[in-house]
Amino acid sequence: MSLILLALLFAVTATLARTYHAREEGLVAEWFQQGNADFAAGKPGKAFEDFRNALSYGPDNQQVELRLAEALLADGRFTEARSYLVNLWERAPGSGEVNLDLAHDSAELRDEDEAIHYFRGAILGSWDKDPALARRNVRFELCEFLLSHNRANDAQAEIAGLAADTPAGDGLLHEETGGLFLKAGEPGKALSEFEAALRTNPRQSQWLAEAGQAAYQVGDYLKAEMYFSKVDRENPSKEIHASLVLVRDVLGNDPFLVGLGDEEQARRSWRDLGLALARLRNCAQAIADNSPSKQPPSDLQPLNNDAQDLQKRVNLRSLGKSAEERSEAMQLVFRIEDATSQICGPAAGVDQALLLIERRHEGSTP
Amino acid sequence: MSDPNPPIAETQTPSLSAGSLALESKEAGREGFGSWARLVTLSEGNLFLLLAVIIGLFSGMVVVCFRIAIEWIRLGLVGSALAPPAVRVLLMPAAAGLIVAFLVQRFFRAARGSGVNQTKAAVYVFDGYVPFRTVIGKFLTCSIAIGSGHSLGPEDPSLQMGAGIASALGRRLKLSRDKLRLLAPVGAAAGLAAAFNAPISAVLFVIEEVIGTWSASALGAIVLAAVSSAVVMRSFLGGEPMFRVPTYTLAHPAELLAYAVLGVVSGVLSLAFTAIIAYLRPKLRALPEWTFYLQPAAAGLLIGLVGLRIPQAMGAGYPYIDQALHNQYAWEILAILGFAKILTTSLSFVSGTPGGMFAPTLFIGAMIGGAIGGLEHHFFPQVSASVGPFALVGMGTFFAGFLRVPITSVFMVVETTGSYSIVLPVMISNTIAYLISRKYQDTALFDLLAKQDDLELPSMEEQREQIVLRVEDAMRRPESPPLQASDALAHALEIAQTSTEEILLVRFPTGRWAGVARKDLPALASQHPGETLLREALPTARLPVLHPDQRLDDALRFIQGHELLPVVSRAGSRKLEGVLSLPDILTAYQRAT
Repeated sequence: MSLILLALLFAVTATLARTYHAREEGLVAEWFQQGNADFAAGKPGKAFEDFRNALSYGPDNQQVELRLAEALLADGRFTEARSYLVNLWERAPGSGEVNLDLAHDSAELRDEDEAIHYFRGAILGSWDKDPALARRNVRFELCEFLLSHNRANDAQAEIAGLAADTPAGDGLLHEETGGLFLKAGEPGKALSEFEAALRTNPRQSQWLAEAGQAAYQVGDYLKAEMYFSKVDRENPSKEIHASLVLVRDVLGNDPFLVGLGDEEQARRSWRDLGLALARLRNCAQAIADNSPSKQPPSDLQPLNNDAQDLQKRVNLRSLGKSAEERSEAMQLVFRIEDATSQICGPAAGVDQALLLIERRHEGSTP
Repeated sequence: MSDPNPPIAETQTPSLSAGSLALESKEAGREGFGSWARLVTLSEGNLFLLLAVIIGLFSGMVVVCFRIAIEWIRLGLVGSALAPPAVRVLLMPAAAGLIVAFLVQRFFRAARGSGVNQTKAAVYVFDGYVPFRTVIGKFLTCSIAIGSGHSLGPEDPSLQMGAGIASALGRRLKLSRDKLRLLAPVGAAAGLAAAFNAPISAVLFVIEEVIGTWSASALGAIVLAAVSSAVVMRSFLGGEPMFRVPTYTLAHPAELLAYAVLGVVSGVLSLAFTAIIAYLRPKLRALPEWTFYLQPAAAGLLIGLVGLRIPQAMGAGYPYIDQALHNQYAWEILAILGFAKILTTSLSFVSGTPGGMFAPTLFIGAMIGGAIGGLEHHFFPQVSASVGPFALVGMGTFFAGFLRVPITSVFMVVETTGSYSIVLPVMISNTIAYLISRKYQDTALFDLLAKQDDLELPSMEEQREQIVLRVEDAMRRPESPPLQASDALAHALEIAQTSTEEILLVRFPTGRWAGVARKDLPALASQHPGETLLREALPTARLPVLHPDQRLDDALRFIQGHELLPVVSRAGSRKLEGVLSLPDILTAYQRAT
């Protein structure tokens, strides 16, 4: 009799449990769907309530738990999200998605090292959809994160890895990698990436501009001029035009350019000296006008004296004959530009070009 | 050694010792269980264990149905959202209160209350008899009450239902009164194990709170019942722990201080919670009986009002505990939730609505723990863990302080979360809360409730704390050294003449002891030549020996029929530590009282 009762009870319990589980699953799906809809509608606060409801009927449902954590993250409830994410991570430490969410959460909670740890976990982790793309995106994000936290050295290694994995025909990825190199202070590598991108689409204006910018930072003004002028023709803008003018000023005033004859070098040095002296005079005048004593600053006086002394000793012809004099003249030009940019504010136009020439050829002689 | 006249107390409140588990006489066996035993050719002891498994299976399935019934009723009455619509929140607990009160007053009076004391009463007062009607009543009324949002839990009712099922099975198998008494705690453990999905905690709770003994045979049956019911529960509702929490790591030893603070706060709050219930319950029970029809409804209405602002304070509250464990609330909110739950649970419980205290206790503990954790984290972020671990520890701590089951509370936290790493803070915090609660509240909650119901149930806590008299407290030094078995009879006679002891102890080289009355020695000497050795002259009967650390109660059993017993060292039974007589024992008991 007891055994019959037991069997009967088993049948009833099994039926009840099956029906209840079905209802639970229905409720999970219902609330999950609602949560996704709210999330998509930009209502993370409402969405996480829905996901919570879903989770209460399916506490083992990791997908719901992950979405709940993501909704909490989106709603700025980082500490709350963390607990669910850590929970998920303990169950699936190799999940790329969970690692990435934890990285975001750690970043928001200002735990840099932990964020990096989870970003790397996400790169090495498993992804359900298009793992290669997902990993690349995470790596991009990690690089951006490192750069934004002044960890350029760490970033450079990551970007190098990214560049090595970039398929040759994917211009967009090359362009993005180049942008990262540029931010990481490696304009040479950035230029290579932009040029690789341009090989896939040589007329892409933004890539041309970025290549010009990278070349400019490397100090390769010839390339910079080439890229800027192409953009200026194809898609003109004030900024590009200004950059183009600047590199043209550099190229037009640089006496140290390879292949220039003595005469051209002398002409450029003489012209640069004149431009520098004009900058010196203007600067001294501006300072004097603004000071109560109407006196030029004492810092500029020795430069003025040296300029007068040099003008007495050299002329265009003597510069053409003596490399030493050209060098002496250009050294004075650089000293004047340095001093005036410190005293009278950043140099602009051709004075800026002279400073760029100085940086490009520091220590070399024409 | 058996006592032909057992004390009255023993027949009234039987101890659940190993011996009492041996199955019934042949007569009883012939009538019911025995014939079944012969049929399946198992020993009686094994059949009892098999019965425990069957009880576990029954209880497990009934508890699964009970849990599902609560959920169906909740979905039907309140809805599926964690924050239900206001109208339902306000009306459903009150409406359910009316129905539940009617059912309890008219049909299921024994379904009132949590179920723990009722199970104890079944064991100690009603010879293990729990009417099956109580199981039905508990199932119906509790599922309606909890499902509608009354702040009560399903665990204690499950415990009582388990006991009821066990009792019904025992009656069906025509078991004797002694066996029926034993079956009730077996069923209770099964019911609780299924309700909590925590067989270890269930076993410990039944031992700590219901039977109070670690008898091996009782333990075997209880464990089997708990395990089988937990297996049933897991196969139907899943094997995951009740709460899923991230692994906890102790960041800094100073964190333990923070948990100690939690222990203090929980201890104090558990005192307050007990005081509220102890004060309000008799007041409401003293009202005219017609008000019993309305009290659960009135409580439900008040709970609904609280629920309008704080829906988390309604029902058993497991999803919210889970949220607290996952840092979902700021400490201020957690504190509010904790106090709100104390209010709603007090209302539900004192109004006589059937339902358990375990789940609300866990809820309150989690919230208070989380609040303390959040507060400490706010002020000392370098040493405090986040809110989650504190909520986790708080569950066990409040449980230990309020229900006064310190061992169960530790294992319960571990089992319901599957997290062993938290055990260190739990132990510290629980112990502090328990000690505070015990120091400032003489009577534990369940004992208090029993007294309010005019039930004189044995307090397991008091039994644990009772001073145990041992043989060493009563023994005395022998007035003369013992005789040796190798002594000649003449020599023994000489010694006897100088001794004042009426009984002389004789030590044998093997560690055996015998006794000879001083007055009998001359007669013995006259029957044997003087050089006869004592071992040859003495009868072969040996004396039982006692050890200094044995309980004096045990010594009473051995001393019957002997005027004096040797107390020997456990390091060697030839070494005499002292002697013990019946007057010595009585003197010791007199001194102790």
